[in-house]
Amino acid sequence: MLGKRKKWTALVVLSLFLLSFVAGCGGGATSQSSGEEIKIGFLGALTGEVASYGINTLKGMKLAEEEINAAGGVLGKKIRIIEADNRGDKGEIANVTQKFITKDKVAAIIGDPTTGGTKVAAQIAQPNKTVLLSAGAVGAGVVEIGDYIFRNTLLDSVAAPAVVKYLKENMGWNKVAIVTSKNNDYSVGQTKVFKQALAENGVEVVTEEFIQDKDTNFSGQVTNIKAKNPDGIVFTGYYTEGGLFMAEAHKQGLDVDMVGGDGLLSDVLMKLGGQGVEGSMVFAGFSPEQPDEATKKFIEAYKAKHNGEEPDMFVAQGYDAVKIIAAAIEKAGSADPTVFKDALAKTKDFPGVSGNTTFRENREPVKSPISLLVVKDGKFRLLAKIPVEAE
Amino acid sequence: MFFQQLLNGITLGAAYALIALGYTMVYGIITLINFAHGEIFMVGAFVGLALTYIVKANIFISLLGAMLACMVLGIVVERVAYRPLRRSSRLSALISAIGVSIFLATLVQLIRGPQTTNYPAGIIANTVYNFASIQVSKLQLVMIVVSALLMLGLQLIVKYTKIGKAMRATAQDYDAASLMGININRVISFTFALGSALAAAGGVLVGIYFNAVGPFMGLSAGLKAFAAAVLGGIGSIPGAMLGGILLGLAEISAIAAGKSSYTDAIAFSILFLVLLIKPTGLLGRPIQKKV
Repeated sequence: MLGKRKKWTALVVLSLFLLSFVAGCGGGATSQSSGEEIKIGFLGALTGEVASYGINTLKGMKLAEEEINAAGGVLGKKIRIIEADNRGDKGEIANVTQKFITKDKVAAIIGDPTTGGTKVAAQIAQPNKTVLLSAGAVGAGVVEIGDYIFRNTLLDSVAAPAVVKYLKENMGWNKVAIVTSKNNDYSVGQTKVFKQALAENGVEVVTEEFIQDKDTNFSGQVTNIKAKNPDGIVFTGYYTEGGLFMAEAHKQGLDVDMVGGDGLLSDVLMKLGGQGVEGSMVFAGFSPEQPDEATKKFIEAYKAKHNGEEPDMFVAQGYDAVKIIAAAIEKAGSADPTVFKDALAKTKDFPGVSGNTTFRENREPVKSPISLLVVKDGKFRLLAKIPVEAE
Repeated sequence: MFFQQLLNGITLGAAYALIALGYTMVYGIITLINFAHGEIFMVGAFVGLALTYIVKANIFISLLGAMLACMVLGIVVERVAYRPLRRSSRLSALISAIGVSIFLATLVQLIRGPQTTNYPAGIIANTVYNFASIQVSKLQLVMIVVSALLMLGLQLIVKYTKIGKAMRATAQDYDAASLMGININRVISFTFALGSALAAAGGVLVGIYFNAVGPFMGLSAGLKAFAAAVLGGIGSIPGAMLGGILLGLAEISAIAAGKSSYTDAIAFSILFLVLLIKPTGLLGRPIQKKV
C-alpha cells in the first residue's frame, strides 16, 4: 500500500518536472525566429519593494517600442521588448540577465533601474558582449565595469553639488541632518556625494542617522534629529522609507523639510508620508511640467494610453533608453552589440524627454538641466530648473 | 530625550510582546515553532486595513474584526498544515510552517500587490500630550494600553478559565492530559486561535503606528518576536511580554546611541547569546527530563 503511494508521488513529481521543462522549451522555440526583429531585454522588478521603478520603466519602453515600430522599425526590422520580473532580488537579476543573453539573444538590455541591480547585471553583460544601458542607476561603480555598460540618468555626483548650492543660497539651509539607508547601495553612494557637496558649500552636518530598507520604525532616529534642530534633512533612501520617516517626523512635531534624489520620486511617498512630506524636495532629470514640444507630445501619448496617468521620470527614462539604442543601431547599420556599441558611445546631445543626453568618454551621461521638484498639496510640482554645465 | 526614547522603546516593545505571545503559547503546548505566525500578524494588519476602508469601521471594530478573522485563520492553518504532521518528526512540521508562511505572504501579494500601503490618516487623531519634557502621542497611548489590556485578558483566560487550565495541563504533559480526558485537539485549536488573535491585534496596531502595511512585513516582525520569546523564555507567557519590552528597549537604545544600523544585529545577538548562556530564557522553566 505504502509502496503504491510512493510510486504515485514519484510519478506526479516527475510529470511536474517534465511539464515545466516542456513549457520552458515552448517559450524558446517561438523566440528562435529572431531574424525579423531586434530584441531588447527589460531588466527590472515588476513585483516587490522597488516595483514602481520597474513597472514605469517598462511602460515607457513599450511606448517607445510602439512608436518606433509604427514608424517602420529600425533597419527594416521591428523592435521587441522582452520582459521578465527580477523582483529586485540580486539572485534573480543575475538569472534574468543570463536568460536574456543566452536564451533570448537580445541586442541590448535596458535596466536595472537600481544601482545595486545594475552592478550585478553588468558583471554578466560585459563578458558576454551585450550592451547594458541602465535607465536609473545613479550610484558609483557602474560604467567602470566595462565598455558595454552605459547609463542614461542624471548622476548624483553632478546633481548634488548644484542642489546643495541652491538650498544654501535660496532656502537658507546652514545645518542639516543626513539619513542613510545602510543596506541600499544607492543611498550609501548618494550620502557620500552629498557629504562632499555640503562640505564644499560650508553646510554643517549636525547628525548622521542610519536606517535600513524595509524598516518601518523610525521613532528613535527622529527623536535624535529633533534634539539637534537642523534646517533640513538630506534623505538619500527610497520613497517607502522616506515617506514613513517624514510621517514619523510629523508625528513627533519635527517641522523641517527633506531633500533627496529620484529614489523618492513616486506617488507612494505622499501616500505614506501624508502631511509629513509636504514641502519635501526631490531632484530628478525629468518633470512633466517641462514646456518643451517633444516632451508635451510624449506626455499626451502616454496619458492617452494609460487613462490620463502622468508619466514619471522612470517612464521618461525607459522611453529615452529605447530610442537612444534604436538611434545607435540605425547609425551603425547593425544590431550586433559589438558593432553598435561604438555608435552608442558617440551619442551627443540626443534630444530626449528626460533632458538632452551626451555620453562622455567614459560612457557616463551629462544631462541638463536638473529639475528640482517640491511636494505641494500631495503632488510633485516644479520648483526650479537648475542648469548643469558639461565639462 | 532619554525619557522620549524610553517611551519609543516601550511602544515598539509592546508590539513585539503581542506577537511573541503567540509563539510562546504554541511552543508551550505542542513544542512547535509556528513560523507562519509572522504572516498571521501581517494578514491581521490587512484585514484591519480592509475593514477601515471598506466598512469605514472605527478602529476598535477593525481591531476586533481582524482578531476574529485571524482566529479562524490560525485554526485553519493548524488543521491543514500542522495536525496531519503532529506525529511526524519535528522537522516536517517546521518545514510545513515555513511553507505556510511563504504561501500566505505570496497570496496577499497576489491579491493586494507588492507595495507598502497605509491606514487612512487620522484614524487615531494625532494629538500629543506633554508630560514635563516628554511628549506622548495618543497613538502611543492607545498602543500601550490596548497591548496591556490584551495581555491582561490572556493571563486571566489562562489562569482562571477551564480551557486555560486544560492548556496548562496539556503544556505540562501532552499524553497524560489526554489520558485525563482533555480534548487535546480542542485545546490546540484554541491556543492557535488565541495566539493568532493577539498577532492580528499587533498587526493592526503596528500598521497604524508605523503607518505601513505590506505583504512581507511578517517576516522580520516574526523573527524579532521569536527572538523576544526566546529571550523571555520560550513557553512562558510573562517571559514573552518581558522579552518583547526588553528587545524594544535594546533596539531603541542602539538607535539613540547613533548605532541604528545594528538594530537587527542586536535582536539576533540576543537570540544566540540567550541560547548559549541560558537556553531557558529569563523566565523559562527548566526543561524537564523524562525518565
